[in-house]
Amino acid sequence: MAIDVGILINLGFYLSIAIVFAILALGFNLQWGYTGLFNAGIAGFFLIGAYTCAIAITAPAPPVPGGLPGHLGGFSLPFPVGAALAMLAAGGTAALVAIPTLRLRADYLAIATIAFAEIARIFTINLETITGGTIGILLIPRPVDYGPGQPFLNMATIVGIGGAILLILLLFLRFVAESPWGRVLRATRDDEEATMALGKNTFRYKLQAFALGGAIMGLAGALFAVTLVYLEPVGSFAPAVTFSVWVMVIVGGAGNLRGAILGAFLIYGMEWLSVQLKDFAPEGVKDTIFFIRLMIIGVLLILLVLFRPEGILREKKRTLR
Amino acid sequence: MAVASESESAGKTRSWQSRWGALRLTRRFRRQLLRGLIVIAIFFALNAALASAYGVGILQYTIAGLVVGSIVIVAAIGLSLIYGIRGFANFAYGDLMTLGAYVAVIVNVLGGLSLILGAIAAFIVLGAVGILLEFLIFRRLEGRGPVAPLVASVGVGLIIQNGIRAVATTRQWNYDVTPIQEIPIVPGLGIHPIRGIATLGIGFLFMLSVHILLKYTNLGKAMRATADNLELAKATGIDTRKVRYAAWAVSCAFASTAGVLLGLGTVVSPSMGFDVILLIFAAVIVGGIGSPYGAMLGGLVVGLSQEMSIPLLLWLGRPDVIGLQHATAYKVAIPFILMIGVLLLRPWGIAGRPPAFAPRVFFVERLSRALTRRPAVADQSEGDG
Repeated sequence: MAIDVGILINLGFYLSIAIVFAILALGFNLQWGYTGLFNAGIAGFFLIGAYTCAIAITAPAPPVPGGLPGHLGGFSLPFPVGAALAMLAAGGTAALVAIPTLRLRADYLAIATIAFAEIARIFTINLETITGGTIGILLIPRPVDYGPGQPFLNMATIVGIGGAILLILLLFLRFVAESPWGRVLRATRDDEEATMALGKNTFRYKLQAFALGGAIMGLAGALFAVTLVYLEPVGSFAPAVTFSVWVMVIVGGAGNLRGAILGAFLIYGMEWLSVQLKDFAPEGVKDTIFFIRLMIIGVLLILLVLFRPEGILREKKRTLR
Repeated sequence: MAVASESESAGKTRSWQSRWGALRLTRRFRRQLLRGLIVIAIFFALNAALASAYGVGILQYTIAGLVVGSIVIVAAIGLSLIYGIRGFANFAYGDLMTLGAYVAVIVNVLGGLSLILGAIAAFIVLGAVGILLEFLIFRRLEGRGPVAPLVASVGVGLIIQNGIRAVATTRQWNYDVTPIQEIPIVPGLGIHPIRGIATLGIGFLFMLSVHILLKYTNLGKAMRATADNLELAKATGIDTRKVRYAAWAVSCAFASTAGVLLGLGTVVSPSMGFDVILLIFAAVIVGGIGSPYGAMLGGLVVGLSQEMSIPLLLWLGRPDVIGLQHATAYKVAIPFILMIGVLLLRPWGIAGRPPAFAPRVFFVERLSRALTRRPAVADQSEGDG
């Protein structure tokens, strides 16, 4: 029985993180799939969301022996408030990053956003009094905590909360995509000049879509913080996160909501499996399995771009009848 | 590409009467020369002022900035060539630099030969890698906009970086060169013969060779034409396919040399190239995308600004000022602040010329117009937006 619970908890961990990635993929899908804005700084918005939420909801840090630097915090706000703050912070930063670059070609935006993400990571690692430096933020409270004796219930609750958020987001984005607003976004992506000629202020629409996408990534960060219950800046928010989300959306199909979610579950499934299989791998491969996984992601990126740029589920054809 | 237009009519009546009129510099070049001299004068005055105020030792940051600048220049020229001719941001560039550095490690450390041979081997191998990349991947992505090749290049970068980690493990390597003492210029200020002088020299050599390549060879002319207007270049009978292969070879070969120089200055490690790729992008954008001459200027500006910000950051880190922790870690953010400024004010770069039909109403222009909103009469004949 104990083994069964262990497997279930492991599976729950997979589900909860896959949900976080699915939300990230939905945010990126709104920015790139619908609006054509190529965001290369997903990890940065994710980071801002995660740290904003973590700082907002943690209790005052108890004095830790060993002289940990500690972090800004002690507000003990409830999780929904923390998540809302995370969305505000990430969305606001997204708007700020986008303003100078949205009028320029797509690759300027890519460079500016990846630069922003790296700067955000450097600041997070070094601003110890605010973010806890390389140690990060520990003891983040769960939204509902059954105590340390009930790991399964805790995990199930997180998966439930994440699943609910994902479902609401999916419905919301479906509504948005079919709305006149979403139509303008797709029109901007397909032919910006024609959309401008129709009297739409495409800059404003692009800015709104980018900020909304950033806010969704911030929400993913907030969920990530309460799922892991700790944050560390070096590995969790590396550029590899951004590249993984690209693969997820491209695999699933850009411009298709179900595709983005499917891609997230598939690609994170691969990552999770590589962790699970590490113990069974032969001696020579054991230490390199993570590098091989990243190489596979690279190969996937190239092959998909070359041979199936529309992904598994292609975007719905919307034609006038 | 920013190319000085040679045949600018220089005042038809007067200059032809004088015997030396034909040798008069064009007005555009004179203007650029004047501007350049002013900037250089300000730079020297600033350094002289710093040296007199804080002692000669502070000039070590200027020297470090010039050294970093010349590494960035070599890399940025290569990146800019591909950017101009293939029209996308090559995110694998940093990892190509790493690959070049590792090829030199194989020759120099494992093979026991001199580093110069290693650098030459890396130059050749990486040139071949560039041709291979274009042949296998990027030639199939022509006409798919800037994002598809960008994504593919990230894939290439991931494969190279993690392939190196899987094969050569994550350990760090040092090149096997004879240790030489720093040469003192004046007491308290020295320069390292290899890390300093050689790097500066190689940077200058590459700048010169690119200038000769672009200005005085048929290939360079074809490259400039292809970067300027692909369709027009095709129509005039330039074999743009060949130009693209040549550009990839030159670009990746430059990446290898930049990688070797970078490894010489610090250590060779799997993530060394990826860690500086954003710096190189900042240089390319500050100088003006797609222009190798802009890349030279941008590389210099980026390198100098990053290294010369260290004393300022150290001052900020003093407990009686702000007490910023790990103050020097923020030096890498300075080039990006410059980059954002350039994107706001001059998105075509400090060296580039504004495109004729660019959307001129940028954020700042709009802001200044909103602040000085006057009746429509005052706003005459500017004709933009």
